[in-house]
Amino acid sequence: MSTRTVSAPVRPAAATGAGMRAMGREASILLIFSAIVLSMPFWLPLLGGYEGLATKIMVWAIFAVGFDILLGFTGLLSFGHAAFFGGAAYVTGYVFRDHTSEIIVAFIASQVGVMVLAAAIGFLSLRRTGIYFSILTLAFAEMMFAAALAIFAPFTGGYDGLTMRTTPTLLGMPMQGLYVFYMGAFMLIFGFAVARMIKNSAFGLMLRSIKENPMRLQYTGVNVWAYKMAAFMISAHFAGVAGFLMVVYEPYVATKFLHWSTSGEVVIMSVIGGVGTLFGPIIGAGFLMYFENVIQAAIGDQWKLVLGIVFVLVVIFLPGGFVQLGQMVWKATGHRVRARRHNVPDMEPDAARDRNLG
Amino acid sequence: MDQVQTSAPAAANLTRPAASAASAETILQVSNLNKRFGGLQAIDNVSLDVAKGAIHAIIGPNGAGKSTFLNCLIGLIEPDTGEVLFEGRSIKGLKPHRIIQRGIARVFQTPQIFPGMSLNENVTIAALSRRDGEFRFNPVVPLGASNTASQEAGAILERVGLIDQRHVEAEHLSRGDKRRLELAICIAAHAKLLLLDEPTAGMSRHDTNRTIELLRTISETGMTKVIIEHDMHVVFSLARRVTVLAQGAVIADGRPEDVRGDPRVKEAYLGGAH
Repeated sequence: MSTRTVSAPVRPAAATGAGMRAMGREASILLIFSAIVLSMPFWLPLLGGYEGLATKIMVWAIFAVGFDILLGFTGLLSFGHAAFFGGAAYVTGYVFRDHTSEIIVAFIASQVGVMVLAAAIGFLSLRRTGIYFSILTLAFAEMMFAAALAIFAPFTGGYDGLTMRTTPTLLGMPMQGLYVFYMGAFMLIFGFAVARMIKNSAFGLMLRSIKENPMRLQYTGVNVWAYKMAAFMISAHFAGVAGFLMVVYEPYVATKFLHWSTSGEVVIMSVIGGVGTLFGPIIGAGFLMYFENVIQAAIGDQWKLVLGIVFVLVVIFLPGGFVQLGQMVWKATGHRVRARRHNVPDMEPDAARDRNLG
Repeated sequence: MDQVQTSAPAAANLTRPAASAASAETILQVSNLNKRFGGLQAIDNVSLDVAKGAIHAIIGPNGAGKSTFLNCLIGLIEPDTGEVLFEGRSIKGLKPHRIIQRGIARVFQTPQIFPGMSLNENVTIAALSRRDGEFRFNPVVPLGASNTASQEAGAILERVGLIDQRHVEAEHLSRGDKRRLELAICIAAHAKLLLLDEPTAGMSRHDTNRTIELLRTISETGMTKVIIEHDMHVVFSLARRVTVLAQGAVIADGRPEDVRGDPRVKEAYLGGAH
């Protein structure tokens, strides 16, 4: 064993104080976040939205938060998360159509399905890094899409999607309208809290260091592959919860859920909102859903062109997404911007604040 | 090819057949290591003992196989034949992170750090790897300032003289300070054996001397070091033991002043270099 014991300069009082402050800060973040999310059905209609849109935003926000654990923390760009979103949606739809309308059963079944799927795809895709990893995930998702349309068509309904005349129930209580929204809202709040917790933990520090320098991490004695796999599995489960919720909201499974454009959409949300910030992808999800539904109704067919322009402008001028815009405004009004990286909490608030989020 | 059987002090040579006896004072024992890349014999039957607590330099002209040798030790390249014993146990064929977990650390030619993270985080990661092993799923407990890993990081940064910059992101450091940070990471991992690949490459004289000073300081803790080096100034100011490689084989081995006088070494390396 090592003969050196490093005596740490301990200031218990200060350390505990900082710990309490950090906890208080976490609690207030969660509280404000919850308030905004839970009140969405009241304020969204004022902006021209509707109740169903709020539920859709919940679905995509859950997807995007989980995706940020993989892309934002760990630095792995998956182009195949539609496999988990769509896979869970199909399992949920299958349970509703052929077995029971009880959502607890559907939830468990869909998450078990995602776990198996993510273990297999993750195991194979994580053998490679960088662009090769992205391409492998894309390939697996596209294979699932093709299989759903062809050999599995008897189960999936092929091009028609999985249709059913079920009203999902929670312990016998029909789940429709606002009930679905609030279920989704609680799932999002829970998922957001879990993601924040991961970010502040030792596990989260390891994930973020993979993004920084995987070789150094391996040569510090860490099994980088295992951490990547864990991040992949976690984000796949978030995608699975989103896919499940989508079918509870609207008991119909579209083939589009497995399509690569679904994977692409979550990437766009993350980039527009601000990768690695957790808030950003949620804002991005809200923005994209709002754009696809409300703005589209207002400006008609050009909406995709306008969205493309917005995306290009953000990537060029705001590589940190909307969150960076918020920070710029905050700074311009004379406030201090907290450092982006604060896993080790005694970091000074002003350290490295000039780094942008790119 | 000219072969010099190498081992630590002459006395150890006699006890060599009893591997367990030798491992009491030998931390790293390499025997008959071979590695061939196509037609090139990169490592030619290299045997080497590194004494515990020593600073052992491996020198040789360009292409002598120094880096390949180091990569064989650390699991980046798997040797064709031969054996590598660390503390008497074989580490040949293990994955790099498993070898590191045994108590070896590596310093790269270009300092490898976590550029976008604070110095404190950089070192905390290594302390966590020491504490939690190669993988631990612990996403619940927040990494508070009172965390032992984070406190240890502070103590180590103090020791290497980077404590004032602990909140700075590592990419903003000078080359010399990045090297200090990399060494701090290795200290936090509680490495017993440190492998250094040209630790002063590309550094100014000032930074080189500071690094030498730091390596000397770390030596006081009993950490063994194997240094691959080009710079003779560094070799002769640090190492008590020098092994000379040429064309993948050991051509000389011994105290620095003896090696310097060796005619074969002069011919292969020092003579040509000066």
